Amino acid sequence: MRRHDMSVKQIAGVIMMLVFLAFTFLPIIWAIILSFRPKTHLFEPIWQSPAQLTWDNFDTLARSDFPFALFNSLVTAGTSTILAMIIGVPAGFALAKGRSHRKFIASWALLLLRMAPPVGFVIPLFLIYLNVGLLDTWAGLIAAYMVLTLPMVVWSSWTSLSQIPDELIEASLLDGATLFQTLYKVVLPAARPGIVATAVLAFLIAWNDFFFALIITRGDTVTAPVAIMNFVSYATVDWGSIALASIVLTLPTVPVIIFANRYIVQSMGGAVKG
Amino acid sequence: MQSYQGVQPVFQKNYNKMLYPAVFAVGVFAIVPLLGMFALSLTDFHLIKSWDREFGLANFIRLTQDRRFISSISVMLMLSVFGVIFQVVLGTLIAVGLEKIVPRWRFLRGIFVVPFVVPAVAVALIWLSLFTPTLSPINAFFDIFGITVPAFLTTEYGAIGAIVIADTWASYPFVMLLILAALQGISSDLDEAASIDGATKMQIFWRITLPLLKPALLMVALFRFIETLKHFPLIFVMTNGGPGRSTQATNYYAYIQTFQSSNVSYGAAIAVFLFVFAAVISFYVAKANARLTDA
Repeated sequence: MRRHDMSVKQIAGVIMMLVFLAFTFLPIIWAIILSFRPKTHLFEPIWQSPAQLTWDNFDTLARSDFPFALFNSLVTAGTSTILAMIIGVPAGFALAKGRSHRKFIASWALLLLRMAPPVGFVIPLFLIYLNVGLLDTWAGLIAAYMVLTLPMVVWSSWTSLSQIPDELIEASLLDGATLFQTLYKVVLPAARPGIVATAVLAFLIAWNDFFFALIITRGDTVTAPVAIMNFVSYATVDWGSIALASIVLTLPTVPVIIFANRYIVQSMGGAVKG
Repeated sequence: MQSYQGVQPVFQKNYNKMLYPAVFAVGVFAIVPLLGMFALSLTDFHLIKSWDREFGLANFIRLTQDRRFISSISVMLMLSVFGVIFQVVLGTLIAVGLEKIVPRWRFLRGIFVVPFVVPAVAVALIWLSLFTPTLSPINAFFDIFGITVPAFLTTEYGAIGAIVIADTWASYPFVMLLILAALQGISSDLDEAASIDGATKMQIFWRITLPLLKPALLMVALFRFIETLKHFPLIFVMTNGGPGRSTQATNYYAYIQTFQSSNVSYGAAIAVFLFVFAAVISFYVAKANARLTDA
């Protein structure tokens, strides 16, 4: 680094970063402000009545269906994540370390499943569920979320487990461990950050889902992203509650920012060396 | 994948066993619905009317004459192309900025990730509030100077722009993370060698960094392109396909045909079209990815 680089270019870089920071954060700050604004002052510019704050929206939210919907979200996203991990991680391990001539096909199939239009899955699922009584049940929603999470889990554990040295696996196998023992006792502990990030991302995919829940849930198992829409009606839009609910919905995703962002790349985007 | 020779072939069978549960689950949860989609697209199943099982390709012939379908494709492509361009440019600028121009600010990477983890519905609602003129602080701010910010969501191209902006906000961090990872894979020796030879930073960026980033850029652009084809919460919440049908992308049109007009089979036919489209693009993504990992 040359000293005199701290020049026009760097200042331009700093200004660029500040602009991007503003673009990134103003909507979030705005949502926080909105969740504390009283209904009576909602449509005034914020600087005209900055001291007008209220906890009303917390009350509204607590008394609505939203906490119940959060619980539904937690159960369905949590269960589908656990199932997808139990089924998907061994498959990722097999693809990473097993001998196969069909790896390209496997990677294409996994990508295709993740990229296929959700509406294509949802139409037949809706009709099947309608006939077997799975509409508006946890089981139905969990099964639907497997479609979303399983391909991601296989893909992501495939990429993170292929970075485990083969010698480690061979040593364990030569010591007489079975392949499953090797996976659970040797490989997974060695790949823990990537595997944890995979689970976190699988959870988020299910947690964030709007489309599947919109179609196959009704009152009983409605999830939080769909329940937010209850604050929107033709007559009025309860902006304060919407903003607060949006923030609450985002909070469980914070761990991703803290510890998993390095692994998002591998899990979401594919195997970029880095 | 070269050093599996050390593992005795007897273990190979076990590896395959580990695949079975996943293959089974994908078969049940994903392949069955997809086959259902294909089967439905060949019938004229309707939620309310009686239906004729022998229908053949009539839905697909109808697609070619459906103006709403054809315009939905152009809406979809507009949302995708503009969205991907903005996301890739912004994400790359921030990644390169953090890595090369102001490396002391690298800690911001964790902060720039925030929008990426905001659930899509929340993204849509927050931006809906920002695009609602009576509520938005942006409009209030410009009012001070007597400037009236137009109501984006009430005009055809404004609504498309609003969705693109919201999508860019939510998705550029993904591009940034991928490009940051790719940048760290590029050896700094090249930069140093070039700068000793007298290249300016701009030249280094255009001649060395950018060409080396090309595979990663292609990969992330394709990836985002496919994701943008699936836009649903943004359209549902922000515009509901309107004004008129100006933000009715193909995926959304399939939803409307199936669940609002009850034309289940026709919706399935639209989904088949989208599926084939995704199959072609994901083939190129898989190829790009294979090249990237083998390199």
